[in-house]
Order: sequence, then C-alpha cells, then structure tokens
Amino acid sequence: MHFNRRSVLGGIAASSAALAAPTVMAQGAPRVVVVGGGAGGATAARYIAKDSAGAVNVTLIEPTRTYYTCFFSNLYIGGFREMESLGHDYGALAAEYGINVVHDWAVGVDRDAKTVELASGASVPYDRLILSPGIDFKDGAVPGWDVTAQNVMPHAYKGGSQTELLKAQILAMPEGGTFAMVAPPNPYRCPPGPYERVSMVAHALTEVNPTAKILIVDPKANFSKQALFEEGWQRHYGGMIERIGPDFGGENVSVNPAEMTVDIDGQVESVDVCNVIPAQRAGRIVHEAGLTDGDWAPVNAADMSSKSDPEIHILGDAAAQGDMPKSGYAANSQAKVCANAVLGALTDSRVFPARFSNTCWSLIAPEDGVKVGASYEATEEKIASSGGFISETGEDDATRAQTYQESVGWYAAITADMFG
Amino acid sequence: MIQRALFPASAALALAGAAHAANDLTHPEVAQIMAIEADSDYGAYLASECTACHAPNPEGGIPQIHMLPESYIVGALVDYRIGEREHQVMEQIAKRLGEEEIAALAKYFSEAE
Repeated sequence: MHFNRRSVLGGIAASSAALAAPTVMAQGAPRVVVVGGGAGGATAARYIAKDSAGAVNVTLIEPTRTYYTCFFSNLYIGGFREMESLGHDYGALAAEYGINVVHDWAVGVDRDAKTVELASGASVPYDRLILSPGIDFKDGAVPGWDVTAQNVMPHAYKGGSQTELLKAQILAMPEGGTFAMVAPPNPYRCPPGPYERVSMVAHALTEVNPTAKILIVDPKANFSKQALFEEGWQRHYGGMIERIGPDFGGENVSVNPAEMTVDIDGQVESVDVCNVIPAQRAGRIVHEAGLTDGDWAPVNAADMSSKSDPEIHILGDAAAQGDMPKSGYAANSQAKVCANAVLGALTDSRVFPARFSNTCWSLIAPEDGVKVGASYEATEEKIASSGGFISETGEDDATRAQTYQESVGWYAAITADMFG
Repeated sequence: MIQRALFPASAALALAGAAHAANDLTHPEVAQIMAIEADSDYGAYLASECTACHAPNPEGGIPQIHMLPESYIVGALVDYRIGEREHQVMEQIAKRLGEEEIAALAKYFSEAE
C-alpha cells in the first residue's frame, strides 16, 4: 500500500464540502486551481489572487483547516516554540483575497478534461493547475516500518500531531534511555532538518534526562551543515550523540516497532524512542496525474511548468527542478516565479525573468543559530545555483544569536507571505 | 506610524561613523540610481523575493524595510553589493541586483505599507 496523507485523513476530509468564497470574480474569468496549501501552494494562490485583483478565479484545495508548518517544528521539540505558534488557518486567503478555499483531498487529475477530482466526488475545472502536494514516504523504505507503526515510531516529518507525539515520547523516556533516529537518504525535505532535530532533542534531554543517549543511523556519508552541527554537538552536548554512517552499516537498517528495536547491519539495538524518517517521494497527486519521472515531477525552471504538461505547474518538495533544496523557503520562492508566469499566460500582465533564492536556518542550541543559502537562476536544463553562503565554524556567540533572531523574523515573514 | 517614522532615523544613527553609502547621497552610485525612473511592476515582482524574510510588521532579528526612505534603501543595497555593509544573506541578494533593479525595489518599498 501507499503511505500518504490521503490514507490517514481521507475519510475525515471526504465529508467536507466545497466552500463558497465571498468572491468578486468576474464571470468567465480564467480559473487557477492550486492543490496543497503549504509554502508553495498558499503562496502561489495568494500572489495570483493579489496581483490579478479579481481578474483570475483562484481555488485552493487543502484538506487541513489548520496548517502546521514542518519548518520550525523542531523548535517545538526543543521547547522554543508552542505548537499553536506553528498553526495557520486559511481565513485571510478566503476573506481578504477572495480565494475559494476548499477543504478536501484532490485525488485525481483529468488532464484532457482539465479537471481536478476531489475525494468528496466534486470535480473542479481549471485553465491552469498548480500542484504543491509536498512529500509522501516510500513504501518499504525502512523494513518493519509503515503507516500503522507511526504512532509507535513517529516520523514527525509533517508538522502537527506527529511532532507532538514525538516530543511526548522524548519527555517520557526512562532515565539514561536511548533516542534513535533513522535518517533518510537523499533527496528529502529540509536537508538540515534531521540534524537540527537531533540538536533540539539533545537540548530537551540535557534539561530533563542528561544521561540519555542519541543514536543516529544514517545511510548518507555526509549531510547538510555537517561541520557546523558536529562542532555544536561537541560543544553543547558532549558525548550524548553518536552517528552511525554507511561505513558502519547505516544504510542497512530495519526496525521492529513491537520490540522497540533497530537492526543496524545485523546488530540489534533496544531503544526507547525511535524517530523513523523514511525515504521520500512527491505527494501522490502528481503521480496520479502522470507527471513524474521516478519519485519526483520534472519541471521547466523558467515557470515551474511540468515537463509533461505545459498547463500544470509543480512547486516545492514534489518538483525535480535542479539545484534548490526541498525547503519551505524554496517552495515560496518558486511559487512567486510561477504566479508571475501563470498571470502572464492568463492575463496581459508582464512576465519577468525567473529568479529564485533560499536560506535554511537551523538552531543547534539556545541562541546558537546557523544558516546556509544561495541564489538561483533558470537555465534551459534546470534551476541552477548562482552562488551561495554558509555560516562558519567557530563564529562568535553574538553572530550565532543574531542568526537565530533572523530565523525568528523569517518565520513571521514567510508565514505572512503564505497566509496573508 | 510613529515607530515607522522614527525607524529610518534610528537606523541611520546606528550606522553613523561608518562611511556608508546609505548616509551619503553624494556617493556617485547612489545618486545615479536615484536618477533612474523606477519600473513599478518590476519593483513589485522583485520585492516578492524580499518579503520571504522582511514582513510589513517584523518580528525577531530582521528589520523593517517597508516605508523606509527610497534613498536609504538604495544606499543600503549599494553597500551590501560592494561589501561595505556585511551580511551573508543580504550580500548574496544584493550582488545580483542591477541599478534598475535597486531603483525599482527602493521605490516599491518606500511606498509599500
């Protein structure tokens, strides 16, 4: 079976009805349908509605009524944010921007009829379709783990209840117990995310359970911001964190949720909490629509249009676009390029050259923030990096504190940019 | 509104002592950019790159840029572009902005609420 958001929540979401937005749309206005209300989809919907000023009819299909950001969810685990501060609703997009927000699951796309099929049975016509569904987990990626085990071994790699569950498990660990993380192979959402998470778990345990251990089982030889994280772990958390890479069996892992064990290349470890972050692929709808090549959906860099269908655009984690990491910031950046191109195609508005940027902040310990980022441009082949930066090891405390404060400012800004 | 009106002055004070173009409208590049007629559509598009981090009502450690004087924004971006003002993100952003782009952005944010 496929693990995806639909299989978890579909039954509940299917009962929701399409909402009638307080709209000022002109009859016969071109129709844009956006699937997925995260950093890519919410941003694209808002910008198209805002910049067209009613000339384009925008429908946003998103099953959840409150969207909990995956970005910053590690800070909740570390005790730096309340869960409520990570939740956002779609009220402003409906009330202030005239977007028809439909809380339902998109379960199929008829590319000939140009309609999106909803779990409720409704069919929504489009002139342009924007798909921004995020990730699903690959079946069988970690033997022994599937959706039925996620309450025992949480992934916590989509924001919300899974994050709350993982934190509760960490706080309930026995004294001196072991937290294990099965880290994902490339490519996956938020490259520094697992390692920021380990930092935040270490911070939480240092306060309540200082003899506890953290074990990372990792199929990758190297990871994002590695030197920065390893320096920080040594500095703040002493010998608490151990990482087993592929040289020592980190790519040959299975789990047994019933026994709470992790089998690492034949060596069985008993653990108290096990955070399994499986290998990932594009959200189901882009596969259903026939837009993928392997796990992800190839796109043209200039406008984020699908390489299989010029009237469908794919944003964020689900897209195979080139050099940008799969991050909320990247999805937000791609959404603006896409919105400009879609508006240009449907109205007489001007289209400007694509330009992209990304920054990923991570928190290692209180007031110890680091960042990595880059600018990107569209080439014929892909979104190509045109230069970047990264925090340095050995930076002074003031710089690290400032970097953390920047991340707090960024969170406020990007969520305002997404949700209005 | 009082806060907004005060911010440019306090920001300029914070920079006093350094030879920043932001305080120096006679800096040839700043004057040159200020003379360019800004493209407002282009400015709105370019500004979407900035608003991922700069909120109209900012929190945390990212400063407000909405409603700043045009000349201040031009000066700050020139400073980042030439490395006279240091910040990893802003230098990366500014060094790919041409003069017309800086003019368009400065006009946009000086008027954006």
